[in-house]
Amino acid sequence: MSTIPETPLYDRAGSIRGYRMNKMAMSLGIPANREAFKADEAAFLDSHGLSEAEKTAVMTRDWHEMVALGGNLFFILKISAIDPTPMTRIGAAQAGMDHDLFLQQRLGKL
Amino acid sequence: MAKIIGGVGTSHVPSIGAALDKGLADTPDWKPFFDGYIPGKQWMADMKPDIAVVIFNDHGNSFFLDRVPTFAVGVAETYHPVDEGWGPRNVPDFKGAQDLSWHFVDQLVERHFDPLVCREIDVDHGLQVPMELFFGHPEAWPVKVLPIWVNTIQFPIPTPQRCWDMGKVLRDAIESFPGDERVVIMGTGGLSHQLQGSRAGFINRTADEAWLNGIADNYDHYRNMTREEYVEEFGSEGAELIMWLVMRAAMNDKVTLKHRHYHAPASMTGAGMVVLENA
Repeated sequence: MSTIPETPLYDRAGSIRGYRMNKMAMSLGIPANREAFKADEAAFLDSHGLSEAEKTAVMTRDWHEMVALGGNLFFILKISAIDPTPMTRIGAAQAGMDHDLFLQQRLGKL
Repeated sequence: MAKIIGGVGTSHVPSIGAALDKGLADTPDWKPFFDGYIPGKQWMADMKPDIAVVIFNDHGNSFFLDRVPTFAVGVAETYHPVDEGWGPRNVPDFKGAQDLSWHFVDQLVERHFDPLVCREIDVDHGLQVPMELFFGHPEAWPVKVLPIWVNTIQFPIPTPQRCWDMGKVLRDAIESFPGDERVVIMGTGGLSHQLQGSRAGFINRTADEAWLNGIADNYDHYRNMTREEYVEEFGSEGAELIMWLVMRAAMNDKVTLKHRHYHAPASMTGAGMVVLENA
C-alpha cells in the first residue's frame, strides 16, 4: 500500500507503532488532560508510557518526527492546539520547507 | 414515503469552522470561499428539508484507534459537538432522525452491511462544518440529522464501490420509510489535500475541478478508481472523497448540477461543493 512517493498511508504498521503517542494525544480532547500536559509535559508523557524518542519528538514539537514515529496527524493536531501551531506550519515542517516557501510553492499563496 | 430532495457534496475542513468562530469569514483569505456557498445555502433554504443525512469521517475525536468501525450509523436522540482539543465550539446540538436511522440500520443489515450502531456519540467538524456551510448559524438546526461515519483514517478504508453500494441502500431506506419527510443527502470530505508525509501540502486543482464537473455524470469513473488512485490523485486525506459516492449513488443516474463552487486553498485543502437534483 505504501508505494505512493512521500505519502505515508496510515496502515497497521503506523497504527501499532504510534499507538501510545496517539492515545496520549487523543486524551488532550479532555480539558483536565490539557491542563496536566501544560503543567508538566514530561510527567504527562511518562504517565502515557512514551519512549524517550517519542517524548523528545512531542516536547520539541517535531511534527515530522512524530509522524515518522507513527503519529497520525488527526491525533497529534490536539498537541498543536495546546500551543497553538497553525496547520500550515505543521505541513511545512513535514515537507521540510520554510513556511513562506511552503505557502507559495505547495499552496499557491503569497 | 420520505423523499430525497437533493444531494450535496461538500468539503468539511476544520479551519472553516475556526474561521467562522474567529470572525474571519469576510477577510480576503476566506470571503471568496464563503461567497461561493451562498447559492447552496439559498437552495437549501428554498428546498426546506426535514432531515439531513450526513456522510463523514471522524477525525480522532469520537473514535480512537482502539475501535475503528468501517461504517457507523447514529441512532441517537441528540448529538453534541465534540471538543476537538480547542475547547467547545458555539454550535447547537443536533437532533437525531432516530426513526429513519433505525430503519436505515435495518435495511443495511438486511442487505448484508454490518454497521456499528451508535446510541450515544458526539460529532466533530466532519458533520458540523457542512451543516454550518448550508444552514448557517441558527439557534436550533432546522433539520434532524442521520449521521453516517466512514473510516477514512486507518487503512484498510472501504472501497469506493462499497461506498457506492451503501448509497443504494440509503436510497431504498429513505424511499421505503413511512413518512413524508423531505431528505437531503450530504456527502462530505475533500477535496484534494495531504496533511502527512513530505508530500504534505499537495493540492491537485485539476483533479478537483474534474471531480466537481464529473461527479454528476462521470460517476462510473470515480466508482471504479482504486483507493490508491484516490490517494495518488487527491492526496492521502483527499481520499475522503469516496464519501461523496454514498450521496451520488443515492441519487438518480441522471441528475442536474444546480450549483458548483471551488476554492483553493482553504487552509491546506482544495475546497468546494456541488448541489445535485434528480433529473
